[in-house]
Amino acid sequence: MTHLDVAGKQLALNEEGFLLDPRIWDHEVALALAKAEEGLEALTAEHWSVIDFIRGHFLEHNMAPMVRAVCKSTGLPLRRIYELFPSGPAKGACKLAGLPKPDGCV
Amino acid sequence: MVNEAVPAAFSLEWPITQTQLDKIVAAFDAAIDRDLAAQMLTCVHCGLCADSCHYYLTDPRPENIPAHKAEMVAGLYRRNHTLSGRLFPSLNHARPMDAARAAEWIDSLYGRCSLCARCTVNCTVGIGLHQIIRAGRTALAAAGLVPSALQSTVDRAVETGNNMGISRDEWLETIEWLTDELRNETGDPDALLPIDKPDCDYLYAINPREAKFYPLSLLAAGKLFYAAGISWTFASDHYDVTNYGLFSGDNEISGMISGRLQETAARLNAKAIILGECGHGYNANRWEGPEWRGKPHERAEISILEIIQRSIQEGRIVLDPKRHATRVTLHDPCNLVRLGGVIEPQRSILSRAVSEFVEMTPNLEKNFCCGGGGGQLSMTRYADRRILAGRIKADQIAATEAKVVVAPCHNCIDQLSELNRQYKLGVEIKTVTEMVADALVLAPRSAVTSDGGHPR
Repeated sequence: MTHLDVAGKQLALNEEGFLLDPRIWDHEVALALAKAEEGLEALTAEHWSVIDFIRGHFLEHNMAPMVRAVCKSTGLPLRRIYELFPSGPAKGACKLAGLPKPDGCV
Repeated sequence: MVNEAVPAAFSLEWPITQTQLDKIVAAFDAAIDRDLAAQMLTCVHCGLCADSCHYYLTDPRPENIPAHKAEMVAGLYRRNHTLSGRLFPSLNHARPMDAARAAEWIDSLYGRCSLCARCTVNCTVGIGLHQIIRAGRTALAAAGLVPSALQSTVDRAVETGNNMGISRDEWLETIEWLTDELRNETGDPDALLPIDKPDCDYLYAINPREAKFYPLSLLAAGKLFYAAGISWTFASDHYDVTNYGLFSGDNEISGMISGRLQETAARLNAKAIILGECGHGYNANRWEGPEWRGKPHERAEISILEIIQRSIQEGRIVLDPKRHATRVTLHDPCNLVRLGGVIEPQRSILSRAVSEFVEMTPNLEKNFCCGGGGGQLSMTRYADRRILAGRIKADQIAATEAKVVVAPCHNCIDQLSELNRQYKLGVEIKTVTEMVADALVLAPRSAVTSDGGHPR
């Protein structure tokens, strides 16, 4: 288990870098995760539109959205999502949005 | 009774009770038939399996030796079922089941094995080592001791019909969206990704990961079936080709999940089932399914690779290998190749779909596991071991100097993608279907028949 330093606080991550407690999340946490886990130094408006949509969906449904729903709500083409998050929608975008790791082959 | 004797090193998220220990023993006895019992008592401790295992090769400690893992399981059998094991347990490595032993089983059988069976094919006396290890998992599963992340994937499939908890509406909306994309790509306003279409030749089962996060492979399959004029359909309910019961070890649930595809094909009156690119899904459905269900499948189950190969051979699709001009290599998923027997189709397909195809060394039934099998991809607590064990595969890929790695398994693809990043391989990773769809030369619109397919 590792830790993520955010604004003087230490947040616990699981062995794959997902937040252990998905309730503690804000944009500062997302930025720190982006740097530590995705190697992204800055997040653009496109990144935030994806991250905020996934976060909102998670808070409402307790689950990651379909990538279809991400494209529909953000207006971004599918291939752009893969470009924005090098580890993909699950291990990249969902992780930055503070979600637990999804079940299944990911 | 809570046993306090569990060493801290095993760091269990649960205390193991006496009731659970009793369940392990009872389920273990039920899982061991005469054949497996004979195999458990046959090991000559030659140690050759050690060098066959990607866990041992990357982290050479005794507990990573396949025979050691199987011995752990066999020790319980000897303790309870052999005279010498009962009278002189210490001379026979015969150990009763207690909380410390159960914790060791969990750590070794779930945490140090991807059920890839490479040890089994390398065993000098023909022991099914991976089957013994899975029988141990079966006993642990009966006591509710499956690591939680793996169990939740099984539970999700049981409760929602697919292992990612995709709702019916979400699935249908994704298919509708992909249908629009298919029409754009083919230029045919009648092109279709059919759902619940009765009386087709094939029901197509996929990995839910495709629908949820990586739908381009579904589009690729749709394009391919369209071009080949195949009569097929998705189902609105049971379309999940995966069966994580194979990994948790719960045979009853495995059989139930495996039966769903057969029942769905019967409901839709599909003649056969196409299993998408999923290694364990192929093995679990095609081969283990009838064993778990205790009866032969009513409808044939075949890999999508066989469909693609046949479509090429019959001239139903035309490929342009120049579309893939860089060097391409192929990963052999353990459950599809070593345990599944689907070996030639992917090679025959790639020889027609790409310009330069090179094999990995070793390959075929001797190929190394990517490290993501056996439920490892889902069990976060063993992630570090998984990445370390995957180093063998990363080295194999690097040695080919290929730019593209084709893997006919979505589970392998996720692990290979992680290896790609961790070991800086700089490769692209694709399914066979995606490679074929990208190389597909679509016939001009005029050749399309009124039912949306091409003339045969």
